[in-house]
Amino acid sequence: MIRSSSYRPAAEDNFPSVSAAALDIADLLKEAHHPGAGAVVLFSGEVRDNNRGREVAWLEYEAHAPLASKTIAAILKAATEKWQLKIAIARHRTGKVAVGETAVVVITASAHRSEAYAANRYIIDRIKHEAPIWKCEYFTDGAHEWGNNCHCQTVTGDPAKHIYEV
Amino acid sequence: MRIHVYAALKQHFEPEFELKEPVHNTDELKACLQEKNAEAAELLNSCRFAVEEGFIDNAFKLKDNDTVIIIPPSSGG
Repeated sequence: MIRSSSYRPAAEDNFPSVSAAALDIADLLKEAHHPGAGAVVLFSGEVRDNNRGREVAWLEYEAHAPLASKTIAAILKAATEKWQLKIAIARHRTGKVAVGETAVVVITASAHRSEAYAANRYIIDRIKHEAPIWKCEYFTDGAHEWGNNCHCQTVTGDPAKHIYEV
Repeated sequence: MRIHVYAALKQHFEPEFELKEPVHNTDELKACLQEKNAEAAELLNSCRFAVEEGFIDNAFKLKDNDTVIIIPPSSGG
């Protein structure tokens, strides 16, 4: 399907950007073709079977869905303006996600590849730091632990100020 | 004031509860909760705050009938 919109605000999407529905990356990719885009980059964040030396059984994601969707929509809008993207899509799972399954997808389409790569990295980094979404790791030994990925506050002194790699 | 907490904060507080104490901004809310539960003090220092309309900072004037969402550091992805 060809989309003529310059980006896809989550709020206007038939599919919420944060939901418990399984993510079909092949289906999402079909929506990411645009006549003005010579490059499409897809990032799939998938559940790994280990973390810090412990064997992971599955992850459970919790979110404040309305705020997370609003945050993701703002990030997509910022990326679209910064890199003149033709398409920007982001989806995040909630609930139980098994090893090997996709937890988050970001797709960017732009005229040339450098913009699509850069924008894709920017979007996933900001989602990980800013969107109110949390993972709980369930380990094969029966233990579980909330993830605490964003430590920016220890450096910036402000939970709302983040440090990005790009 | 209605309080909603998420993720690791649920290890220290009920997911939703009513706060009777009068608090007027996020600093006062944070201090009140830290007094109630010292073990959550460090985590609360790294949290963001929001109301249904969006994120707020300490300049936002909280009212008794507000619902405040307390947001620990994100760990999505």
